[in-house]
Amino acid sequence: MPFISEILRHKSLSIVGLEKNTGKTVCLNYILHRMNQLGIHVGVTSIGVDGEQVDSVFATAKPEITLYRGTHFITSEKHYLIRQAVSRLVAVDDQRTSLGPLVTAEVLIQGKVLLSGAATTAVLKRQIQNLDSMGVDISIVDGALSRLSLASPTVTDCMILATGAAVSANVKQLIAKTRHLYQLICLDEVDETLRNRLNNIESGIWAIDSEGEIHDLEIASVFLIDRSEKDILRFGHTLFAAGAISDRLLKILSAKGKDITLIARDFTKIFVTPEVYVDYTRRGNRLMVLQRSKLIAITLNPTSPQGFLLDSKSTCDALSDALQTPVYDVKKIEQ
Amino acid sequence: MKIKELLKSDAGFQYITDSMDLMSAAGRRAMLNATFCTSAADLEAEWDRLEEAIRATNDIPNRRYYIDLRHCLMCLHDLSGTFASLANHTPLNEVELFEIKNLCSLSRSAVTAIEGLGLTPTLPMPDCSEPFAILDPDHTGIANFYIYDSYDPELPTLRRELNALQTSGGDPMRISDLLARQSEIQNRVCVRLSDELHPWVGTLVKTMEQMAYADFLLARAELAIRWNLVRPAIGDSICYRKLVNPRIKQRNEEMHLRYQPVDIEVHSGVCLVTGANMAGKTVLLKSIGTAQIMAQCGMFVPAEEATVCLVEGVVTSIGDDQDEMNGLSSYASEIIKISNILQACRSQRMLVLIDEPARTTNPVEGKALVQAIIRILETLPSITLITTHYGQLGTDCRRLRVKGFVEGMENIPLTPQSINRFIDYSLTEDQSDNVPHEALRIASILGCDEQLISLAQENINH
Repeated sequence: MPFISEILRHKSLSIVGLEKNTGKTVCLNYILHRMNQLGIHVGVTSIGVDGEQVDSVFATAKPEITLYRGTHFITSEKHYLIRQAVSRLVAVDDQRTSLGPLVTAEVLIQGKVLLSGAATTAVLKRQIQNLDSMGVDISIVDGALSRLSLASPTVTDCMILATGAAVSANVKQLIAKTRHLYQLICLDEVDETLRNRLNNIESGIWAIDSEGEIHDLEIASVFLIDRSEKDILRFGHTLFAAGAISDRLLKILSAKGKDITLIARDFTKIFVTPEVYVDYTRRGNRLMVLQRSKLIAITLNPTSPQGFLLDSKSTCDALSDALQTPVYDVKKIEQ
Repeated sequence: MKIKELLKSDAGFQYITDSMDLMSAAGRRAMLNATFCTSAADLEAEWDRLEEAIRATNDIPNRRYYIDLRHCLMCLHDLSGTFASLANHTPLNEVELFEIKNLCSLSRSAVTAIEGLGLTPTLPMPDCSEPFAILDPDHTGIANFYIYDSYDPELPTLRRELNALQTSGGDPMRISDLLARQSEIQNRVCVRLSDELHPWVGTLVKTMEQMAYADFLLARAELAIRWNLVRPAIGDSICYRKLVNPRIKQRNEEMHLRYQPVDIEVHSGVCLVTGANMAGKTVLLKSIGTAQIMAQCGMFVPAEEATVCLVEGVVTSIGDDQDEMNGLSSYASEIIKISNILQACRSQRMLVLIDEPARTTNPVEGKALVQAIIRILETLPSITLITTHYGQLGTDCRRLRVKGFVEGMENIPLTPQSINRFIDYSLTEDQSDNVPHEALRIASILGCDEQLISLAQENINH
């Protein structure tokens, strides 16, 4: 039973996909099934509205999620009313979505349910707290589309990354794209003292000098960085970006010099393409994060939505080799 | 007139409502729909309730009940849409039925808290035990809901079979049939429950409204305590001792500036307010307007002692509107506003606040207009305050002058930031028909262009 015991050490888990149709739902069903066998009290929700029965982009059948007796789940009113599980309502949130208010219910007879959830991570965090107060052992958040924000360590304790043929039917490209995100997820953390000092900074770009002093570089946004007339490295080569990190920022830093350490809040704030990142690191620069996400596993869906099928075993092996971490085809484990 | 309409015309009052700590959207709606009350008896009754709520808020030994009550209000959802469906015989779905059960359960907790606080006569709540019982066939007393087995004799056996098939991975076709049948039964039960709840729709609406009212009442009580508001008496004139403008007081405190409350008494008829620039005439008008609206909307007022005279409405022409966008010059928009004020005052007793009328046109016609405005308003039953810089208006109406710059401060260096320490904002009765001439002195204190000031001074001397 791979990676289940690992999940049990945490209070919340997010399942995010590198693309649509990378098998998040299959993975979630696998975990829920195993948790039920172990008698674990699970809470489940989703982010955003992604509960259509048929995938609206490729019109492929979308598996619903099977929830077992005792599970608490949060979904929208509209999806609640078409559930197949028998369940008891325990709360209705004032927070409205396009599909009505979010409701919390407890499953009485197992069955399939469509999940939809909070539109923002702030509401999601509150929902996870609510589930926690209802006594669940672990909250699981099903990711929507290619949203990564829920995998932020400030939202969920650990994550599973789903990848697959939907990312690219070319195994080399699939590996390259997955490895890029994997590298970002695995970036080194700064030490605790520095993290505590930077954690409460909400915006701007800051420098940390050799004495450990923090200086505001007075750049309100990355978009204004080339307007700044002062040298961005005037206080030293360690920088902290409180907001998003883009290609543009990395390119500017690459042009400035080497031995630069740029610190991001966490990997969900980093939006850089592989080429720019490789160029940045090749010059002797590095990226770090305040807080690293705990990656439990990578799963692979060998089927692409267009019907293309990769060989499960050889692709899993190739990915495992490249990332030096286990990769699972969940459908294969279940069989 | 409702609070939501008043908010459009009075920015000071907007600050008051924004400062209120309402727990629910329904409470906010109750506030917006509260009316500007013109009946002395109704207002006294409302103030009695507010006084009771303040007592309950300050009741430390029963703090637990207060927290419970506010927590209930925090959980209050706006169910107007659901009630409309119920009234129209549109069947409710499971989520809506849950919401109704939840409201009944909340009201039960609220009633306990209200009793604990001794507020039962102030906040009478309808009894929701009947509609709750309809939604609680198993008498669990808990605010959870689903279509319970006991609602239909077919459900228990159907669900037993469904459960057995689902857990053993049984025939999907049979599961599908059972789900469809269950769905049919559930819909039938929803229709039946909606019918059973229909006679209670009035009770449910009243329950939500009372809880929303409780939210508004407690928010007013909390504000009254936080800002030291005082219950006004009702009389024939307006009289405040140490009247405060909460918004400006707050701003001054943030900037570490002194705030000076003022005493004022205004009677029916017209009262002119004169005084130097920066002496706080405009703020005085705004403070009086805001306090009047607060009082007649069932709140206490920001003063140490207050008497209010009830009016049908507060009408103002205080010149910080941006009417350029309507294609009107500042004079045009002002004179239209004043004309509307006169119209309103011909039929009703109003509180009229006009700030420096006709200041944007030539002084000859401007002065003539001010004289005419005073003559008209003097004959009407309204209470009017007009600020002006025009002297020699030749009327015998009452005049109040803001004392303005404290004498003997001439040699102390002043800055625009410190200027307010040297102004006495209190009012004094003024018998003369003159107005203070301090415009140049203030310009010089503000550090304006020296040539400008000296040339102007020369013009006066010639």
